[in-house]
Amino acid sequence: MQSNRLGWILLAPTLVILFFFGVLPFIYVVYVSFHQWNPFAANPEMIFNGADNFRRIVFDAEFLNSVGVTVAFVFFAVLSELIVGYFLAQAFMKDFPGKAFFRTIHTLPLIMAPIIVGSVWKLMTTPSIGIIPHYLDEWFGITMNIGTSAPAAFATIVIMDVWHWTPLVTLTLIAALVSLPADPFEQAQIDGANSRQIFWHITLPMIMPAVVATVFIRLMDALRTVDEVWMLTGGGPGSATRFVGVHIFKEVFPKTNYGYGSTISVIVLYLTIVACWLLYVTMLAPRNTKED
Amino acid sequence: MKKQSPIIGLVFWILVSFLTLFPIYWLFVISVKPAVQLFSTPDVILSDPYWGNYAKVWGDRLLRSYMVNSLIISSGNAILCTVLGFFACYALSRFNMSGKESIFFWTITNRMAPPAVFLLPLFLLMTQVYAVGEWRLLDTRIGMILVYCTFNLPFAIWTLRPTVDGIPKELDEAAFVDGASPWKVITEVVFPLCRPGLAVTLILTWVFAWNEYLLAATLTNFNARTLTTGLSEYVTTTGTEWGIMATISVFTLIPALIVFGMVQRHIVAGLTFGAVKG
Amino acid sequence: MSFALKFGASALAMSVAATAAFADDAFWKQAAEPYQGVTLRGVTESSPPSLYIREVLAPQFEELTGIRVDVETTSWDQMFDKAIKDMEAGTGIYDMVYIEQDIIYSYLARDFLTDLTQLMEDNPDLVAPTYSEDNFTTFADYFKNEEGHLFGVPMEAFIKVYLYRKDLFEDPDIQAAFKEKTGRDLVPAATHEEYSEIAQFFTDWGKENDMELWGTTAQAHTGHVASWYEYVESVAPTFGVYNWGINADNNYAASVENGGTMNSEEAKEALTWWLSMRDIAPPESVQSTWTEVGTTFGAGRAAQGLVYGENAGWIAADETKSLVVGKVGVALPPLADGVMDEVESGEGYIGYYDGGAFGLPSTSKQKEAAALFLQYIGQNEVQPEWAVAAPRVTNTATYDDPKVQDMNEELGGYYDMLKDKGYLFAGAPAYPFHAQVRETVAPTFYSILTGDLSVSDGLDQMAAEAEAVLTDLGYRN
Repeated sequence: MQSNRLGWILLAPTLVILFFFGVLPFIYVVYVSFHQWNPFAANPEMIFNGADNFRRIVFDAEFLNSVGVTVAFVFFAVLSELIVGYFLAQAFMKDFPGKAFFRTIHTLPLIMAPIIVGSVWKLMTTPSIGIIPHYLDEWFGITMNIGTSAPAAFATIVIMDVWHWTPLVTLTLIAALVSLPADPFEQAQIDGANSRQIFWHITLPMIMPAVVATVFIRLMDALRTVDEVWMLTGGGPGSATRFVGVHIFKEVFPKTNYGYGSTISVIVLYLTIVACWLLYVTMLAPRNTKED
Repeated sequence: MKKQSPIIGLVFWILVSFLTLFPIYWLFVISVKPAVQLFSTPDVILSDPYWGNYAKVWGDRLLRSYMVNSLIISSGNAILCTVLGFFACYALSRFNMSGKESIFFWTITNRMAPPAVFLLPLFLLMTQVYAVGEWRLLDTRIGMILVYCTFNLPFAIWTLRPTVDGIPKELDEAAFVDGASPWKVITEVVFPLCRPGLAVTLILTWVFAWNEYLLAATLTNFNARTLTTGLSEYVTTTGTEWGIMATISVFTLIPALIVFGMVQRHIVAGLTFGAVKG
Repeated sequence: MSFALKFGASALAMSVAATAAFADDAFWKQAAEPYQGVTLRGVTESSPPSLYIREVLAPQFEELTGIRVDVETTSWDQMFDKAIKDMEAGTGIYDMVYIEQDIIYSYLARDFLTDLTQLMEDNPDLVAPTYSEDNFTTFADYFKNEEGHLFGVPMEAFIKVYLYRKDLFEDPDIQAAFKEKTGRDLVPAATHEEYSEIAQFFTDWGKENDMELWGTTAQAHTGHVASWYEYVESVAPTFGVYNWGINADNNYAASVENGGTMNSEEAKEALTWWLSMRDIAPPESVQSTWTEVGTTFGAGRAAQGLVYGENAGWIAADETKSLVVGKVGVALPPLADGVMDEVESGEGYIGYYDGGAFGLPSTSKQKEAAALFLQYIGQNEVQPEWAVAAPRVTNTATYDDPKVQDMNEELGGYYDMLKDKGYLFAGAPAYPFHAQVRETVAPTFYSILTGDLSVSDGLDQMAAEAEAVLTDLGYRN
């Protein structure tokens, strides 16, 4: 059909912008990652040190710990968002009075800035005077202290993330459910399938692309989470919520450890890309190429 | 589908809405509490609101200029990303360019980068490379619009791709047969059909740009500071001005609400993410 | 009283109009002649003293000289990052940067700053008749190099004091109860044992009387460096562990075996004591930075505590934020035996003397105009109003101003203490690697706070980590 030249012309602005603001900085970060560089070291210059930084990272317990808590966070947060989002989306498929109104309310958390979300949750969960610990104590006698209890802090952040981002998942799943054809479901009911069988054998496979695409976006964003955690716990108690994003932030900003911080970032980016690539080629790409 | 009493649905949704709204309500409560009351026993019910914070925020000329910057940057960025993303998706969908699937995946990797470490190279580029004479890209609105493309443009391409793929190719081909120029086909045939997807992309990129903090905090100084950076000014060693922060936050919510409300009806239709078409 | 934060546009206009015309208007006009149309840019933390510069002093200066001054106010972390990036890359965005007392050594090591003394000597025409380095308090010494040249004009200075609730300490019922329980009179503590006793007493008192009251504050956040700062700056020195336990004269050793004191017996005793105080402090203390400690005290939730001077001002006098206005007394921090002798002999100090100055980056392209503004904010004449709006004193003459003396009353004698006892306090040690060591040992410190590490093991580990990072950075060999 049309010549590919037009295709490239249409793609060009995107490629140019991403080159100047994505690729060039990335090349610089990779370059720095092979250096020892801290402007406040005795020698403030950049010193090439080969793969030393990369060797060091393998034994860096703090970094490995941050990867661990990040993976745990992403797992719990994204999984909960999927489950809650799915049930809410299913609930929205039924008719009830004020549906549009409730859907609007349900999307509200999406529009809040992460830094604001972190601030509000911090005030709500401040030990003893935040409203949540206060009433947990008063009504149920439960002490909740995100400053001392690692599980409490971790759970608070997961819940905060679920509160913030489930609406996005719900919306995409509603879109997927709305566009499902009716025939297979009618057929299944005639065949006497129960609702669990219908879910596993019909609904899930058919909404899978939407689920994967949603997971993909949430996965990427959850892995980069900084602002909310920064406001809420600062990474504490101890290192319980020192996610990779927070760890990198502390390494690069206050510690001005540009060399090693760049190395961590390169590795984290690499791991993220690999994880997403696997997800992409196994779940999404076949569909995209089929359509050509 | 089973028939359920609408009352059960209603009760369920009122409960869910309560949970959803509570943190937002609490933000509002904080904004109308005098500072002295913040560290005393919390009451769920609001009594005797104090509007001083609103007067202060509204009367602050700097915050007003931050608001304007935020509006310009996020609107400019959302429009740019949606339009360019649409073009890119059209190209990826309709042409057989070599390696296009790799390009598609590569665009999204730009969103995965941990932002903190990219601030230094961006700072250096925007002060020393993207500069002409005395003028530099740092601390300009156009600079922030372009920087935000690194995370919003991939998102736009990612969301729009299924939508564009879903428009039957036969439609463009028929238009070409009628002698329409490619530009006409893209803008007058395909573009209107993608409207729900475009609306969703527009609103979500807008929200992402509106809410971004770290890049704005580092890459703006005087002329292009945004509302989210204004927030961090109130976290100081001499006390965090929670009331003022909450008030600014409420102000940041209002435009977001308006924009969101405008495209609400498109949202579900547009977020198909490649769902199976019936 | 009015704090700088409250300066809106209208208040600003009034204060500009109300400013008495200085006798030396002519000097400023003439000196600024060559710099018409220049815009100076500064970056600082959005603290009340800085906001006063932005809202009051900068417009005054512009009115007087025609030189515009834009001050970017931002958060504490961002301020450092932005100033460092600018100076490191040599961009020349800023003509003035806020230098916190503890980062001056890093900046000096990198030649980031302009030698102000030299600049004045080289440009005698620029020197204002009302400006002199001699006007500053001894706090300015922290911003001088070895030759005594000044690199920053002090703009705020505070000491971290022992605040206590006068109303509670003077309450006859409480006094009687305390006497009965301990056999002592209830007066501000001079030793750690006394402090513990008082803290325990008030925490129990709060519990018994069903009050939201505890015996002490604690800046003990488990994920923010504020907790580490409270320990090394305000607690460890009172046990005789100075300069973070790092021995600069001995190859920057931190561990006892190499000649440092970071994991010494005194250090362990200090941390153990502080943790015992944290345990009877209000529950929010484990999430408290310097900010929340002030808020906790201001909300009347603590009977005593170590509180940054920045916050002492509003706690004692600002009714819109504090519930304990007029009920606050100040005292010197409790000390271990022998510390005062070491202090008097010049070896030690009893707490933190912090603050900051405005410096002129070497990369600035408008040094002369910036030097004018720096002198402007360093004059004795502008100080009293400033001290009233944002409690801080940097010039010796400011103490004698009637307005400041009135305020001293309001603040429970805080200014008197700053003036007379300020010499007992000290700024951060002269290390060019503050943030680097801090960020390295902080995670281990948080693990001690959460109980994952014992005090002894944790401090041993911190000392080892500090030595390792100093070796890495090339300071220790």
